[in-house]
Amino acid sequence: MDKAGNSKRGPAGPTLFRQIATRLAAFTLLFALLDVGIVVFTYSSQPESLAQELLTLEANKAERSTAPVPDLLAGPPGAEHWAARYVEPAAGGSAPPPSRVDAPSGVLMDWTRRERIPGGYRISGVRSVQQGGQQRWLYMQFEGDGIRPYVPVIANEIVQHVVLPLIPLSLLLLLFNVFAVRRVLGPLQRAEAEVDALDPDNVLLRLSEAPEPREVNTLVRAVNRALTRLDKTMAILRGFTANAAHELRTPLSIMQLSLDKLPPGPLRDDLQADTQHMARLVGQMLDLAQADALAVEPDVLVDLADIGRDIVGAMAPKAFAAQRELRFEAVGDTRALGHAEAIYRIYRNLIDNALAHAPGATPIEVTAGPGPQLSVRDHGPGIADEDLPHIFERFWRKDRRKSDGAGLGLGIVQRLAEAHGGAITARNAPGGGALFEVTFAPPEPGR
Amino acid sequence: MRLLLVEDNARLASLIREGLDRQGFAVDWCETVSGAEHALAITMYDLLLLDLGLPDGEGLDLVRGLRRRQDTMPILVLTARGGLDDRVVGLDAGADDYLVKPFQIPELAARCRALLRRPGASLGTELSAGNVTLHSAERSVKVSGEPVVATPREVDLLECLLRRAGHVVAKLAIEGALYSMDAEVTPNALEACVSRLRKRLATAGADVQITTVHGVGYALFAPIAAHG
Repeated sequence: MDKAGNSKRGPAGPTLFRQIATRLAAFTLLFALLDVGIVVFTYSSQPESLAQELLTLEANKAERSTAPVPDLLAGPPGAEHWAARYVEPAAGGSAPPPSRVDAPSGVLMDWTRRERIPGGYRISGVRSVQQGGQQRWLYMQFEGDGIRPYVPVIANEIVQHVVLPLIPLSLLLLLFNVFAVRRVLGPLQRAEAEVDALDPDNVLLRLSEAPEPREVNTLVRAVNRALTRLDKTMAILRGFTANAAHELRTPLSIMQLSLDKLPPGPLRDDLQADTQHMARLVGQMLDLAQADALAVEPDVLVDLADIGRDIVGAMAPKAFAAQRELRFEAVGDTRALGHAEAIYRIYRNLIDNALAHAPGATPIEVTAGPGPQLSVRDHGPGIADEDLPHIFERFWRKDRRKSDGAGLGLGIVQRLAEAHGGAITARNAPGGGALFEVTFAPPEPGR
Repeated sequence: MRLLLVEDNARLASLIREGLDRQGFAVDWCETVSGAEHALAITMYDLLLLDLGLPDGEGLDLVRGLRRRQDTMPILVLTARGGLDDRVVGLDAGADDYLVKPFQIPELAARCRALLRRPGASLGTELSAGNVTLHSAERSVKVSGEPVVATPREVDLLECLLRRAGHVVAKLAIEGALYSMDAEVTPNALEACVSRLRKRLATAGADVQITTVHGVGYALFAPIAAHG
């Protein structure tokens, strides 16, 4: 549990939501620019319709303004000459009449004319405007040059045809995307949590498959298939170590027993020591392969004191032969959840380790409890500070030439403790000597 | 002492036979479960040495079969399987002891002797370790052939330890054997008894040692040589 959580949740790259939002914004902008281009292109090739729009825009301005005299209006930007006034449709209305009065008498109609003059163009025309609920006719004329007077027209066109339709559309798209992304990411987040919870000890665990969306479903299924393949490889690997160790044992027995038949001498002693070392190594490799594959039933209650008494009893002859003393003590409630044989081996390897590292004539104290923990303490030189980080590493030995072990014993203990959801700590005891403590899961209350 | 060895590796079998022969055991050998069943049907053996993975079946099935027929013959399983659950499964099936390969002959012989010494086993009226001998029917103790005077309780204690010589006997087990259910056992009654027996044996010149394993029990060790 504690090994997860250190490397995850790093801000590695933008979220999918942000990516979609940025891309959508960029796409909208591109689309708007394209639209603007089309508008500008269309109007620049049709100056008449531009002129028409320009006058309509000015008339709308006049309609909204409260100025009594339209002459006071500013007119389009960049206009060199600007004139505007109301005209009456009735005959005899105040002159000058518009230059084109082809309309039926008494009725004026909207018209626009654009003509070239030296140094630019002149636009003139009439628009009907509503003022105070009354229809009036506005005659406008102006002279100008270049594109500048048309800028408000084009801006108006852009607002009308680009901004107004695109903004709601983009917002709608964004909302839809938020919804869609949430929907897609929901199962992904669940899968992420499950992947985080994957434990090499619990090899049978798989991600739960949500039926939709299909893309996430296929990903989850692909991950599950990969996990299955991984399991198979791990099983083969573990099986290989276990089988190899197992197959080595019979030939080793034959070797050991054959050596006994050789005439006594230094060569026989050396060979015997070598085969013993090899036998030990093979045993430890098998133990380690099994420790790696160990699944602890979560509801088996064992008594650490019973197991401790068993192993201390079983190892006392070996300790006696090495002229060492083993002591056992049980303190308080020593029940724990665990695998009895695995805990037996935890004790055994720790005691073996103490027998190997503490000098003769010092006692080794084995303790169960208080609570779901056990400890093995020796009165040897203790553990050097620089060795502490390494003692649980597989195949690590302080002095390769001197040691007859393979450097696997403590690694096995650590692995077995971890398989129990427990932990092992090593430190130097006050008063000298190494102290190894292993804690296990406590029994559930009320049992 | 007649032993039956069931082992499918011929070389290993011949080495084991040779080794045990030198230790004073007569060993018959067969390679298969069916061969073992046949041999057991026609001969009385004192002990069965059994390998587990055999060409025609599981050694443990043979153990279960014997136990189902109420056969109490001691069975020592010799196996290359040293798995976490293998030992428990083997003992649960009815085997009396479990020795993982590779092993050495003195260790195997010691285990065989321990099994043959057990109560109920066909042998064991005379128990000995080092120069100490106890006759279980006569309740007499001798050191180097000279009788030693001891209280009945001390003889009981010595018998307990001799039957499991080289192994630790739990304090509770000794108390159970020495004191009747309703007797008041003071915490250090056993300790005092052990201490008296130690003194008596030492005075008589015994070469065995009775060791206290704190928190567990007591063990009687013969001079080192017997325990490779």
